[in-house]
Amino acid sequence: MAELAVLRTAVEAGERTVIGGQHLLAGSFVALALVFAAIAGATGDTFFFRLATEALIFAGLALSVDLLLGYTGLLSLGQALFFGFGAYVSGLVLKHVAPSFWAAVGITLAATLVVGLVAGIIAIRARGVYFALITFGLAQVAFKVVFNSRGIGGSDGIIGIPQIKVEFGLFAVDAQSPAGFFLVTLAFMMLLYGTCAYLMHTPFGRMLMAIRTNESRVPFLGFSPWRAKLAAFVIAAVVAALSGSLYPMLRGLVSPELLAFQTSGNAVIMVVIGGVGTLVGALYGSVVLTVLKSVIGTFTEHHLIIIGGLFMLSVIFFPKGLAGYARPRLERWLARRTERA
Amino acid sequence: MSEAELLRVDHLAISFGALQAVSDLSFSARQGHITSVIGPNGAGKSTLFNLVSGALKPQRGRVSFAGADVTGWPTHRLLEAGLSRSFQITNLFFELSVFENLRLAAQVLEPAGRALLPAARSTVARDRAEELLEDFGLSAKATGLAGHRSHGEQRRLEIAMALACRPKLLLLDEPTQGMSHGDTQDTALMIKGLAGALTILLIEHDIGVVMNLSDHVVVMHQGAKLAEGAPKDVRDNAAVQKAYLGGVH
Repeated sequence: MAELAVLRTAVEAGERTVIGGQHLLAGSFVALALVFAAIAGATGDTFFFRLATEALIFAGLALSVDLLLGYTGLLSLGQALFFGFGAYVSGLVLKHVAPSFWAAVGITLAATLVVGLVAGIIAIRARGVYFALITFGLAQVAFKVVFNSRGIGGSDGIIGIPQIKVEFGLFAVDAQSPAGFFLVTLAFMMLLYGTCAYLMHTPFGRMLMAIRTNESRVPFLGFSPWRAKLAAFVIAAVVAALSGSLYPMLRGLVSPELLAFQTSGNAVIMVVIGGVGTLVGALYGSVVLTVLKSVIGTFTEHHLIIIGGLFMLSVIFFPKGLAGYARPRLERWLARRTERA
Repeated sequence: MSEAELLRVDHLAISFGALQAVSDLSFSARQGHITSVIGPNGAGKSTLFNLVSGALKPQRGRVSFAGADVTGWPTHRLLEAGLSRSFQITNLFFELSVFENLRLAAQVLEPAGRALLPAARSTVARDRAEELLEDFGLSAKATGLAGHRSHGEQRRLEIAMALACRPKLLLLDEPTQGMSHGDTQDTALMIKGLAGALTILLIEHDIGVVMNLSDHVVVMHQGAKLAEGAPKDVRDNAAVQKAYLGGVH
């Protein structure tokens, strides 16, 4: 019995360290973001605020890719489908229904539940590379349809989306205020991240990890892998779409490129750089890639060649990504600290 | 289906192309007994397990379990009904810890509503996992990855996982496969101890183990039933000796 008590303590301590390591990385991300906001706010900057807000928005897309790839073992090469869908729905709502943050986010959420479910039923049928190809195909079809639909602006996209204020009851934040909207986006993304991180520590999340590890064994645990994968797919679609719904509030426009393969591919790169299966890595990866693209882009228009090279180097030298590299070290440090206490 | 029969298969058949893997097979497994299925390689034993556990759907015939017709039920539904199985080729979540493997296998005992609460709240699954760790002597290495354990430990974990859901019927597919002589004897004793409260359907190559453990033996040959009966009767059966034991003696 004493052995059991030791075991339970060890298991619980192990889980606490994992969660602690994640919290530390997520907390550092928020702290760094706030430090950045303080400095950029003090210098009256606009460009970097906008860039950082965009990085956060794409971080949500990367988060959804990691949810599928890192936890469920499904490589989506078409996650931009939902990101772009969210951006378009939000843009249309803001322009034609009501210039309200909550209306745009709420309608995007409801619409994505339906679209995610339909796309999920189609895509989940396939595994491995076929899942990747189906998601890729679905996104390409959506891209072409949007690109050729004059009703929603065709290749130009939707422009002239009204500027909004984000109402919080007691106060409101002007989406045109670089610092204000950066903070709103930061809070929004951390909420999405927190929800995903929470879910991964529930039995549902464990079941997803079981599917990633050995899908064929899962039915013999008494659970339908199909249902769990579909749920994960819909959640990922919602996370991507909600992130996308902030895009038109930041830029005042949406364009078909948001659904293009480049957007999906970038999200996968962000996850790989940040660390597959870490969730928090997606946030860091998005910042790294967005900053690199922007900084290198000021020197040369062939910035993709350099980013491709850096990507290969990071895969060779940091195969587990930034968070994947940092996390075990943080966990060891946390475990040592707990032992001492 | 008599009351004492927990599992009954009637005229079960499946073929893969030209190969008749299982043909017109009927037998039953009695409540609390150990029923063994033996036969040479390729006799269709594992296919039979796949048919009974829902991994394959039969082309003909019927599977009844606990009084219900469960033919064609999906695996996860059969497990919820109390039919669990282990695998001939160790089939674990190698990248997860030994404890997590067992907790996942016991998760089905929890109320469904706990699926979205923190995993630590699933105390029924946790307690069941701890109980099995102790019963199977796996506690010392529970936090390590299942993939890092020895073959014998993985085989034990395989059986423990099949037991985690507190099944009524346990299908054991060559539980002693690749085990040392000592481990085989220990496992046989353990299986013997499980019977009674539990009904067991066993596939086993080790004839000594089968003859010692079984209450009833079904002999398969080329997909069909060659003989069945008490271990002793089966051993003395001339057709069985010719087809199966003939090579040994």
